[in-house]
Amino acid sequence: MLNIVVMIKQVPDSSEVEIDPVKMTLNRTKARNVVNAADLNALEYALRIKDKVGANITVISMGPPMADAAIIECMARGADRGILITDRAFAGADTYPTGLTLAATIAKLGNVDIVFGGDETTDSSTGHVGPGVAEFLGIDQITYAKEVDYEDGYVIATRDLEDGDEIVKVHTPVLVTVLLNSNVPRHQSLRKKIDAIRKGVESWGINELGLKPEWVGLRGSPTIVRSMKAIKEPEHLHKTITLDKIDEVVADLVSKNIIKVGGK
Amino acid sequence: MSEFDVIVIGAGPAGSSAAIKLAQGGMNVLLVERGDPPGTKNVSGAVLWGDELSKVVPDWERSAPIERYVTRKEVAFLTEKSKIAISYSSQDLMERKSGKIIVRGKFDQWLARKAKDAGAMLVTGITIDKLVIDGGKVIGVMQDGDVITSDAVIVAEGANPRVLINSGLRPKLSDHDVALGIKETIKLPENVINERFNVDSKGGYASEFVLGFLDDGILSGGFLYTNRDTVSLGIVASLDRLRANGMTHSYDIMGKFEEHPFIKNLIKDGIPDEYAAHLVPEGGLASMPKLYGNGYLVTGDAAMFTFSNGMVLQGINYAITSGILAAETILENKGKISEETLSNYVNKLRNSYVLSDLYTFNGIQNVTWSDFTQKTMPKILDSVMMSMFDERGMPKKHLMQVLSAAVKSNGMKYTELISSGYRMMRKM
Ligand SMILES: Cc1cc2nc3c(=O)[nH]c(=O)nc-3n(C[C@H](O)[C@@H](O)[C@H](O)COP(=O)(O)OP(=O)(O)OC[C@H]3O[C@@H](n4cnc5c(N)ncnc54)[C@H](O)[C@@H]3O)c2cc1C
Ligand SMILES: Cc1cc2nc3c(=O)[nH]c(=O)nc-3n(C[C@H](O)[C@H](O)[C@H](O)COP(=O)(O)OP(=O)(O)OC[C@H]3O[C@@H](n4cnc5c(N)ncnc54)[C@H](O)[C@@H]3O)c2cc1C
Repeated sequence: MLNIVVMIKQVPDSSEVEIDPVKMTLNRTKARNVVNAADLNALEYALRIKDKVGANITVISMGPPMADAAIIECMARGADRGILITDRAFAGADTYPTGLTLAATIAKLGNVDIVFGGDETTDSSTGHVGPGVAEFLGIDQITYAKEVDYEDGYVIATRDLEDGDEIVKVHTPVLVTVLLNSNVPRHQSLRKKIDAIRKGVESWGINELGLKPEWVGLRGSPTIVRSMKAIKEPEHLHKTITLDKIDEVVADLVSKNIIKVGGK
Repeated sequence: MSEFDVIVIGAGPAGSSAAIKLAQGGMNVLLVERGDPPGTKNVSGAVLWGDELSKVVPDWERSAPIERYVTRKEVAFLTEKSKIAISYSSQDLMERKSGKIIVRGKFDQWLARKAKDAGAMLVTGITIDKLVIDGGKVIGVMQDGDVITSDAVIVAEGANPRVLINSGLRPKLSDHDVALGIKETIKLPENVINERFNVDSKGGYASEFVLGFLDDGILSGGFLYTNRDTVSLGIVASLDRLRANGMTHSYDIMGKFEEHPFIKNLIKDGIPDEYAAHLVPEGGLASMPKLYGNGYLVTGDAAMFTFSNGMVLQGINYAITSGILAAETILENKGKISEETLSNYVNKLRNSYVLSDLYTFNGIQNVTWSDFTQKTMPKILDSVMMSMFDERGMPKKHLMQVLSAAVKSNGMKYTELISSGYRMMRKM
């Protein structure tokens, strides 16, 4: 049977995060914690493969102890097993040790055929983690997937690129990052949620993974955030334009190099 | 063998209180809530009156998220230009901690957590579809095609009882059964609230309004409660009348209430934070479903247990008490759940204020939701006040004469006023 890992992150519900009007910082305290939305799309593709050919789906997340609720939610949607990677030593990680830690988890699980992740999160949105994990594991990766299927040892995916769609077929093991809203995730079920609560979420720390403290968390993070700046929204000049002035507008846009007028 | 002793549907005040009591009694309880976390779907103001919760969570006020204690209670009639109010402030209100102002989002989450701590299995983010009935006995619940079994089910799903309706255990709601509540939460700094409402940082202001200035035909009450650094402002409008006046929308009423000169000042510079709508049971005894059957009990709003007389709106306390009594009934009949044994729930309700109040105040809706109370009374009071205080260098009249003139100018007969007023006093 296929072994699939889905990486998920618990994030504050972006529709509920407010910007403090004075300090210009994000106020996350009021927001509910939810599973990063694209990760639910990733989980849905994993579940469709499970429906089609059968698979064992393990959901993993690196985060604080309360992130177990996000894992339970994924199990209530159909995942078989949940592992929370949690340890003081992991605190303050940037995307590099995050990728390393997740890769170590997947390596320890062993025999993984497909690793799924979202393409990016709503709270940090770097998009680094998926490709990072694939590199640490030394496996192929498919990014920006908007359709994913599995057949005879291959993942077939449609990638949404700026200049068109690209369909790729990659042999397992492979890591796939899935675009937000690329499918409709199925609901949680009470039966599965009860079973998930009874089964519980496993908790792995730095010792289980055989990682050194200097490799992970803040210490293992090459990025140093020096300062943060709030960027003001640019002012929009809303001019009313009538159709008889359209030539002026076009000329203006051409002069600013925003559009080109092509010849016949 | 059933998977659970009891399944409780809904982690509002009724469901969580029941689950705490059952878990404390050693039962294997499943508490299922649609919202995630609990409280996200709940809208009430709210003032929690009374202290019933101490029966299941001793010393609950210490750990509960209480915003303020009511120290100023008002009941006010608003006409287009005026406000006539009875305002009651008392140190006793604070000392006796009569009314606790809470924010349901936080409170429900706290109470559900207590149920989990007591040993209930709390499952959030799941909506139960219906009860599973086998040979006339409720044997569990249905969700997404799966059956989860239990010896008994407590229905605590609130004012929109879809589980009961889907299970064929009550008719669909009619416009007489429920009113429409809308609540807006408005942010204001704590010190501004203290100054503006003349309360200290522990004290709070709670007011109900009769919105006498609304267009003909529309009946709606309003409320305003001060939280710590927000105020809850809302309306409760008659669905009957809204439907009859097809052109009026509930948000128009809310808008007019907010724009009323006396309300506008109170919420000045506030930042709107949340806006939500919810049903409020208003039908009393006539709207009540069957409260028990073989294997199930109905509690709180789902049982239509609310009380409103224009001066207070209470439902949370009735929900808590009915939840506890339902749990008691099941605990006392462990291993012998039947329609017969569960019928004792109704006796318990009758012996408590829950059903006594519903019987005592049966028919009160005909008074509170009447044109007399909501339209004529405010106008008469307004005319009386105005003639008392508008000094025009004319000889003064006795109060009775002033009143009689006010009654006449509002197109009423004196005898009508007396009989309507008497009816009102009797019903309230
Ligand atoms: C206060 C704060 C400061 C930070 N500072 C930095 C910093 O200086 N430099 C930096 O690079 N990052 C920083 N981060 C980001 C954070 O530490 C990352 O590790 C984060 O977990 C992954 O980055 P991302 O959210 O951009 O993930 P993305 O790369 O956008 O996520 C892509 C996918 O990877 C998977 N994934 C991501 N994170 C996890 C996880 N924890 N567990 C399981 N799966 C996961 C999910 O499938 C996700 O959809 C900071 C975060 C916070 C909250
Ligand atoms: C605008 C407004 C103001 C109010 N002000 C006050 C006040 O100041 N004081 C007062 O005492 N009362 C007030 N009330 C009344 C009070 O809110 C209710 O009486 C009280 O909430 C009833 O509690 P309950 O537990 O029965 O129902 P609810 O509080 O409605 O709880 C029911 C719970 O069940 C969940 N649920 C519903 N269906 C399902 C399902 N199928 N599966 C799983 N879960 C489900 C819901 O999400 C909800 O959490 C007010 C009501 C409104 C609308």
